[in-house]
Amino acid sequence: MSDQTITTSARRPARPRREIGEGALAALLLAPAALIFGAVLLYPMLSTLWLSFFTQKLTEPWLGTPFVGLKNYAQLVQDPRFLAALRNTLFFGVLTVGGSFLVGIPMALLAHAESRVRWVARVAMLLPWAMPPVMTGLIFAWMFNAQFGVFNDWLVRLGLSAEPVRWLSTPGLAVAALVITIVWKTSSFVALVVLGGLQGIPRELSEAAEVDGATKVQSFFRVTLPLLTPALAVAFIFRAISAVQVFDIPYVFIGQAPAQGLLETLGVYIQKTTIEFLDFGYGAALSVALFAVSLGITALYVRFVRGDES
Amino acid sequence: MTRAPADTRPPLPLHERLVKYLGLALMIVGGLFPLAWILLTSLKDEGELQKFPVQYLPATPDWGNYARVFSEQPFARFFLNSLIVSGVSTVLCVVVAALAAYALSRLRVRYRGLLTVLVVVFSMFPVVSLLVPLFRIMRGVDLLNSYPALILPYTALSLPVAILTLIAFFSSIPRDLESAAMVDGCSRVGALWRVVVPLSTPGMVTAALLVFVNSWNEFLLALSFNTARDMRTVAVGVTLYQGEFSFPWPLISAAIVVGVVPIVALIVFFQRRFVAGLTAGGVKA
Repeated sequence: MSDQTITTSARRPARPRREIGEGALAALLLAPAALIFGAVLLYPMLSTLWLSFFTQKLTEPWLGTPFVGLKNYAQLVQDPRFLAALRNTLFFGVLTVGGSFLVGIPMALLAHAESRVRWVARVAMLLPWAMPPVMTGLIFAWMFNAQFGVFNDWLVRLGLSAEPVRWLSTPGLAVAALVITIVWKTSSFVALVVLGGLQGIPRELSEAAEVDGATKVQSFFRVTLPLLTPALAVAFIFRAISAVQVFDIPYVFIGQAPAQGLLETLGVYIQKTTIEFLDFGYGAALSVALFAVSLGITALYVRFVRGDES
Repeated sequence: MTRAPADTRPPLPLHERLVKYLGLALMIVGGLFPLAWILLTSLKDEGELQKFPVQYLPATPDWGNYARVFSEQPFARFFLNSLIVSGVSTVLCVVVAALAAYALSRLRVRYRGLLTVLVVVFSMFPVVSLLVPLFRIMRGVDLLNSYPALILPYTALSLPVAILTLIAFFSSIPRDLESAAMVDGCSRVGALWRVVVPLSTPGMVTAALLVFVNSWNEFLLALSFNTARDMRTVAVGVTLYQGEFSFPWPLISAAIVVGVVPIVALIVFFQRRFVAGLTAGGVKA
């Protein structure tokens, strides 16, 4: 701050010219990003919002595209399939976000510790995060296979079940399988963000606590965990957003067990409404609902970051 | 650096070492097992597959599944498509992001805070909500079943992550270096090119890796926009071997193994850069 004032006061005559140049340069540099955001994200989102006030069904083209006001939204709050999808999404969200923290935090501690296998541990941590979700869904669907799946093999070999379990076609178990798969895929992200937080905490702090007589466990809960709060909050918000929007893995699982309405999330219902039922107007209203939930969580994040600065 | 070297600390007591290495073993096996399992599955024949209790190792590796991956579907073409789409998206995205991030972290920009918040908001847009309008736009400009139909959305979807990552890196480069170059007669653009760009190479690499992985993995848009067989990408391609009621798992597994080779290679070679980039925060899961 101070050196800026010095340069500007020392070179007062140059100041106005430079400021104009800098503003123009900034505008020039920001223009390509603004153009892409506008054309590919903002305009489509606005047109979705616009379309949500119309009826448009490609299966009934004779209806045209009449303006219907809030009718799609009125339909939405009474649509049992939407309400079920919303309930599923929130239910899976609580379980998978919670699960990813329970698994991800110990992973971060292990990846942070000095060890001879740290490199392998970090690769093992990154891999689930980087795996394509569709392929993750397929791999786990195969591992949960009712007849020849490896998970059933373990259950039977360990004597936990007398016979193979029909994971994907039994309601409660299908949900468990989906949650396990998503937790496997997403714990890595939590671990990575928490690892970032751990790297910012000086080791001396927990060591001092231990010198003062705290056990390792106590020093983790009393010293390390409170200092990790910002990292945990960031991880939580990004996980919450991705949980609300989850699509790929439930989509693959539903493909494996077609009768499962139980696994339908908001993302899947929107895709079905638009791409399969070709009901664009109603699909747009559903999309706006999902967008609103995402935006709500984002607002939480922005408030958190802002609060952090001040 | 004043940090004491790690070996001056007393070694952990035995039971703590035990917990640590047990945990590490669990983490490594848990993280790698699904991929190892799919690799084993890809080498089995149908007879070995249909056994319960499961036969873990194939008697003789059946490499024929890999040949069939390429003969039953144009998988080499899928792979090429994914490489082109992800590669071009990555270059385009990093260049555009670098320009924007430089402006947002270095220049005096009005509403800088608001613009940065806007970038965060864009990173949270649900892809499925954009599906129909993007489909119409692509159809309107006759881009369905083309590379740009995916390159444009992929660039836009990864742009926020790339911008936020690069802002973090640019902010870590001391301004004085740039000012010094400008005092020495460099123009602002010259200082950018000679000082900031070389110093931010690690940041660019990190951003590029994130964009590439995102683009390689994207499924919904690729499924919906590029429906012609020759324009399919790998993420969609691996789902094309199944029938409505038949799942030839060795074949699907072989396709998955081929499809994740680039991802695994990047993770193994750039482990440090991934960890550095993701731990910097602000990255979408």
